[in-house]
Parts: sequence; structure tokens; C-alpha cells
Amino acid sequence: MIEIKNMTFGYSRKKLLYRDLSLSLGSGRIYGLLGRNGAGKSTLLKNMIGLLFPKSGSITVNDFKPGKRQPSFLETIYFIPEEVYVPSLTIKQYETLFAPFYPRFNTTEFSRYLDELDVRTDEKLNKLSFGQQKKFIIAFSLACNTPVLLLDEPTNGLDIPSKKQFRKLIASVMNDERMIFISTHQIRDLDNLIDQIVIVDEGRLLLNEPVATITDKLVFKTVGDISEANAPLYKEDTLKGLAVVEQNHHAEESKVNLEHLFNAVTENPVLIRQIFQS
Amino acid sequence: MSDIFSFRRFGLLFKKTILERPVQLFGLTALSLALVFFSYLIGKALGDFESGQFASFIVGIVGGGSFLASMVFNYFSSNAMGSSFLTLPASHFEKWLCGVLITGVIYVVVFLLFYRAIDTMFVSIYHNGLDPNGPFYKQLYEQVGILSYDDYVPQKGIHIFFIFAGAMLLGSLYFNRVGFIKVALILCVLWSGLYLINLLIAKSMIPNTENALPFLQAYINAGERKSGVITLPLGMARTVTYIFNYFLPASLWLLTLQRLREKEF
Repeated sequence: MIEIKNMTFGYSRKKLLYRDLSLSLGSGRIYGLLGRNGAGKSTLLKNMIGLLFPKSGSITVNDFKPGKRQPSFLETIYFIPEEVYVPSLTIKQYETLFAPFYPRFNTTEFSRYLDELDVRTDEKLNKLSFGQQKKFIIAFSLACNTPVLLLDEPTNGLDIPSKKQFRKLIASVMNDERMIFISTHQIRDLDNLIDQIVIVDEGRLLLNEPVATITDKLVFKTVGDISEANAPLYKEDTLKGLAVVEQNHHAEESKVNLEHLFNAVTENPVLIRQIFQS
Repeated sequence: MSDIFSFRRFGLLFKKTILERPVQLFGLTALSLALVFFSYLIGKALGDFESGQFASFIVGIVGGGSFLASMVFNYFSSNAMGSSFLTLPASHFEKWLCGVLITGVIYVVVFLLFYRAIDTMFVSIYHNGLDPNGPFYKQLYEQVGILSYDDYVPQKGIHIFFIFAGAMLLGSLYFNRVGFIKVALILCVLWSGLYLINLLIAKSMIPNTENALPFLQAYINAGERKSGVITLPLGMARTVTYIFNYFLPASLWLLTLQRLREKEF
């Protein structure tokens, strides 16, 4: 569905953010894009929606070239940036003005999503809190039923109950025709939600694997002593002992710790590549 | 549905553009018209009737029109608003046409109608205030009339409006913040630069040139309180006029469409 081939991108020719990035993303999955601050997560999303154009290489989204920003393409994709924009309109007015641009928009679903996210008001949208505005845009974007949904730091600005509601809602709207791509650094907010993890660092793609494959190849556990661990890819002191990420030689079952995974991958990119290629 | 133009989509976009920021668009237009009204009054009070007519016409068409043009694509002062505008499912051509329609057609029509209304009102008040039995009634009556849009000043004003508004539309796609001020500064520098270059060229060819503005004529000091005007040959004058009146504004307005296509944000 999204195919990136040898993409090079930089805000200046001298300092490139991505070099020869190739990435393939299919539908029916929720992707989590992880990366450090300034790694280019938002930039990658903007290239996918056509707000930025690759310097070389190509991007295709459902056979469209995003950079052309054709209406037939934009009807199939929705991008929520980190800061959302809502005009001085009520919910009803916004729906009347913006929804007709999206042929698959469903009013009943929109109403249900607003209820689930607890956004019900007759006030002008720009008078709402940032969190409320963000929840409104999330509800609207989901009701547009676009096959591709790109979310940049969607949980920023949401309170704790809203984050839970957000996860529940995202999980409930997923289907085989849809692809949701979430860029975040608040990885704990996306626990149990992501199907596939994409990690970028210093302009390179370090990992693009389903969670199931990750738990096949790596094990996340807490050990009492470092000697118990077999050459950990990452270790961190915790109150319960030493949290480690190591290669899963013995088909142990464990739950992915996104934070530890991210550190393991960024600290050992070569080793990780070898493990996942084997 | 066509990816270039669809009446339905354009209608939706136009409605959305107008109703999304009504305060900005209607407020600005109302403010411009109020300024026209007051500049008519002030110009009339400080100078003569004609000064008021000319000043208010220029304020409304060039000032108000250019300012509105700088606001039409003013979506890029925030990341969220710019993204929302560029990713809205409408074509570049439709988005551009919306800006062109608001600035180049609707505002111009509203302004010209408003101007005609206040001009008619002020001229009527003046005529009604004259004493029909006074000695100079006919002379005073004929001294003041409704401004014809075919006169030199309104015609020039309209041509300048299309250049400035085109530059503002284009500039607002280059400068994400305070586009109006930045483009206005660039226009001032360009205009002054062109004037100086024109004057230098004229002076290099005709040493006692006093002035060379506009670009069709050079004013010569012939000494002993004598002066003269050298005018470009008719064919060349037509070309220069054509460039300034049509080619330059059309290029600026069309470049806006191209810039919208290439806009990265």
C-alpha cells in the first residue's frame, strides 16, 4: 500500500535526513513509527501525504504519487499533525463544510466516535481545550474512513482517560482495508495497539517488523544478575532487577517492551539486522 | 471526478473557504470599505473633491485589495493550518481559483459597487448643497461629478491592484509569516530600483533628464525655465504598457498556481 524506494530527503542538500530509505507497508495493520527527536518521523509522514517531496527516489501510496496532491489521492488518506487546526466553527458546521470532501465519510460513525471520546459541545471548536480539539480531529479522521490514516504524536495533549479511549477506538476501527501509521515518542501510550514496529534513526530504517516476529527473535525479561543474561542487546536497572533484551535462542515467550526494544535497536543496529535477517 | 476541476468540489471548497474564516475575509473587506469611506471624507476635506475621489479609490483598490490578497492563502503561519489546507481533497487549480475569485473578482466588484454608491452619495450631497440661484451654480455643479472608472487614475489603480494583488498572492506562498509586510518591502525595493535604473539609463542618454517616471516619458530640463518631455515611440510605449498592464499581473497570478503546486510545508 505504501511503497518507499530509495528515498532521499533533506531540508538542505548538504544535510540529508534520509538516504536511500526503502520501506514497504501493507494494509490491515497498525504501524508504530519510533525514532529520536529530530530523527525525521514527522518528515517521513509529510512525505507520505505529499506535504514534502523526496529529493530522489520514490513514494507511492495506493499507486498514487503523494507529491501531486491529487484530490482522488487526498480522499484516501488523512493526516493528523501533532498540532491540530480547528476553525471557529461548531462540530455541526465543521462536519457540513469538511465532510463532503471525503466520499466515505460516515455521519453515524462520527457521532459515535465523538461520544466515545467524550467530545460533545455546541461551543466553537477553537474555544475547546487542545486535548478536546485533538479528540475531535481524531473522531473526524476516523469517520472519513480513508484507507490510510497517518497520525503524528496523536496522544500528545490527551489526558490519561483519553489516551485509553484513543487506543480503544483505534483498535475498534481497524479492518483489512485500512492502514494506520502512528508516529510517536510516547511509546507507552501505544502498548498493545501496534501490529508492526518501524524504527528510524540517523536517516536509516533500523527495523520494520511485526510484533510477533520481534517476540520470536528477541526476548524481553528481567533477570537478577547480568551473568544470567546471555549477551544482552540492552540492559537497564529496575527495582525488580535487571531488565534485558536479548536474542531469543530458546523460543521464550515475552511481551515487547517498546522502550527497551527501541534502545536495543538504536544501540545495536548491525546486530539487530543480522538477527532479523537470519 | 476530474483531478483538475469539478464544479461540485469547487463549490464545496469555495463555501468552505468563505465560511471557515468569515471574520478574516468579511472583516477585512468591511475594514477596507470603511477606510475608503473615511479617506474620501479626509481627502475631500484636505484637498478638493477630486483628491478625495482619487485617494479613496486608490486606498480601496490597491491598499484593501492587496491586503486581502495577502490573506487569502494565509494558511501557512501554523503547521496545522497549512497541512489542513494542502491536504484537503481539492485540486491546486481549485484552491488557486478560489483565491483568484475572492481577490480578483468578488472584492473588485464589491469595492466598485460600494465606491459608486458612496461617490454618488457624496456628489449628490454636494450638488444638493449648491444654491441654484447662485451666480456660479452651473460652473460649481459641473466642477464635481461621479468618478468615471474609465478615467486615468481609476484605470491606473486597477492595473496597479492586479500587479500588487498578484505579488501578494504569490508572496503569501513564499513567506509563511507576515507575508504582507515582506512583499510590500520587496515591492518598494523593486519599484525604487526600477525607477532608479530607468532614471540612470535616461540620464546616460539625455544628460539633463530631470525625471523618468513613469516608464514611458523622460522630463527634460532645457534651461531658462524651459522644460520638455520625451515620450517613447508609440510602438515601444505600447509594448511597455502591455507588459505592465497585462503581462506582469498575468504572470504573477499564474505563478501563484505554479507555486501552490510546488509548495512544501
